[in-house]
Amino acid sequence: MPANVAKDNLTYEDLLRIVELVKASPQFSEFRLKVGEIELHLKRKREASSPAPQAGATPSEGNEPAEAPAQTRRKDIAESWPAHWVVVRSPMVGTFYRAPSPGAAPFVEAGQTVEADATVCIIEVMKLMNSIPAGARGVVREILADDAQAVEYGQPLVVLEPR
Amino acid sequence: MSQRGRHESSAGTVAAAPRRFDFVDVTLRDAHQCLWSTRMTTAMMTPILPAIDRAGYAYINILGGAVFDVCVRYLHENPYQRVGLLCSRLDTPCDALTRGQSLYTFELFPDDIVALNAEALARRGVAVLTVYDALNDNRNIESSVRAGKAAGMKISAWMTYTLSPVHTDAYYVERTRELVALAPDFICIKDPTGLLTPERGRTLFAAVVQAAGGIPLQLHSHCQSGLAPEVYGVAIESGFRFGYTASEPLANGASLPATEDIGARARALGCETSLDPESLAEVAGYFSWVCEREGKPRGRVARYDPALYEHQIPGGMISNLSYQLETMGIADRMPAILEEAARVRCDLGYPIVVSPFAQYIVTQATLNVVQGERYRTIPDEIRKYACGYYGRLAAQPSAEFLERANIRPDEYVTEAPAAHIEPWVPRLRSQLGLGASDEDVLLAAFYDRKLIAELEDPAHGCSFRTTPLAELVAFFAQRSDIEYARVRFAGTEMTFSA
Repeated sequence: MPANVAKDNLTYEDLLRIVELVKASPQFSEFRLKVGEIELHLKRKREASSPAPQAGATPSEGNEPAEAPAQTRRKDIAESWPAHWVVVRSPMVGTFYRAPSPGAAPFVEAGQTVEADATVCIIEVMKLMNSIPAGARGVVREILADDAQAVEYGQPLVVLEPR
Repeated sequence: MSQRGRHESSAGTVAAAPRRFDFVDVTLRDAHQCLWSTRMTTAMMTPILPAIDRAGYAYINILGGAVFDVCVRYLHENPYQRVGLLCSRLDTPCDALTRGQSLYTFELFPDDIVALNAEALARRGVAVLTVYDALNDNRNIESSVRAGKAAGMKISAWMTYTLSPVHTDAYYVERTRELVALAPDFICIKDPTGLLTPERGRTLFAAVVQAAGGIPLQLHSHCQSGLAPEVYGVAIESGFRFGYTASEPLANGASLPATEDIGARARALGCETSLDPESLAEVAGYFSWVCEREGKPRGRVARYDPALYEHQIPGGMISNLSYQLETMGIADRMPAILEEAARVRCDLGYPIVVSPFAQYIVTQATLNVVQGERYRTIPDEIRKYACGYYGRLAAQPSAEFLERANIRPDEYVTEAPAAHIEPWVPRLRSQLGLGASDEDVLLAAFYDRKLIAELEDPAHGCSFRTTPLAELVAFFAQRSDIEYARVRFAGTEMTFSA
């Protein structure tokens, strides 16, 4: 505590120092402080652990915080398609969308024939939308992820039988 | 300079009357956007507003895109009500920042939404509407300037600084001329990643002051490189009239310089300011305490780091990316991705490394590296950007990118980006019914109904004064481990027991 505490107002500096001292001494059940004009006497509950406000907001440059990718509910996919079938995989960790916007019709359904450049799904990566093309003309045989599901890098999304 | 020479001008200009340098506070907006992920609540602001008001600022910036969005999505505060509350509690005129035609988002809105927003802000008491476009395509701020003026607000028009072979002094002189044609009240250079150096400032600022033809200039520069206070000094010497700054605990690092520091520089350079040191100290003390109470970081002066000038990627984005790479088990690819980011930026025609283009660059660089093939996947937004959908590019994208993006000639957009967006207000009004206010219409234009339904009036739970002693008592009260507290101070004694 500075020597100049003989004054009318407790300052924010005084406050910060007191709080630092209180926080730095959690193992004691009693706390007494007398300095200048300030006198404090605290008693702590024996068993309680100190619930200090949680620290550590991550600094970030004008961006909303990254959502931690949710644990992927990855279906155990036995990759047992005929060798010539085409598997469309996720280019990145991201979110799988079957339709261009919420409520809209899906890009493709199983059984449907698509052209090579047709979009079969969207993968949202770091808030950007990536239209994923079929890559080959064919019949959609399986759609392996649910709408809005978190997907991993390389995860199979759609399987096509080339035509 | 003699000891009494505070009215003498440095830098060789002759100043008969003392020059002034004035301040725009960013503590309630950009400072916590940079340091606290925009998580300062209205209740954290209101107790200290009287001291901020006395501190001598010319304007107080209270709103920006991220603040608006975080209010809605994370704090569940009605952002227009926050604006109204702050304006009504502050005598100092308040300033609100929008991203021009994109307002608070990165999408484009029709002119009628832009105009309605300007009216709503003015009605809430905003005195200055500040606008910029992240591509520096000033066609994207025209409707905002027009609507802001019509609503009776002053206009601050910004241009964004970046470092690239095409962002020359001549480039910024050209942008300044475009802004002058819009007749704003202020013109500002915004340096979102703190890339300006004193050397560049000397040529750039002089050129822009000259091109501005008497419109007062402002500087808004962040402190990532540690050079910003020096750069502000150069701006003052070059004839800039205003600097954006923050209270000391929320200044520096990714934030802007401290008001206290730039005030001292301005006075040393012979300028008069209206700053009141005692009020500034009270504000700084309060926010130091709030950092401790809320467990939020303080701004720290950044070390000069030359790497900042290579990839220019903001630190927050790097930490997000490294988290994602870790979950993919490829954390070791980070240096390759940062290197690729520099090449991607060049391929894309040197977009400024701010939102949303910073995300574009980082995401594309990551895709390129992870897939082991450049531009195998190109996000839809990046194609749209390359087509000119969001505005003019600073430079032509590379041939390699254009070939992979496979853009058809009819996909290129050359008109003003919002030129063909149909009005939204009539449709929204008919959906929402006669009882809907302008602000209801605007919120419905930006967000889905579920988010809007969760919004609360931020005035609930706000106190409008506090003291260190009151904060101390509140601190003891919220700690469940303390069952007894006796506080004696200056003739007062208080005892609390559980």
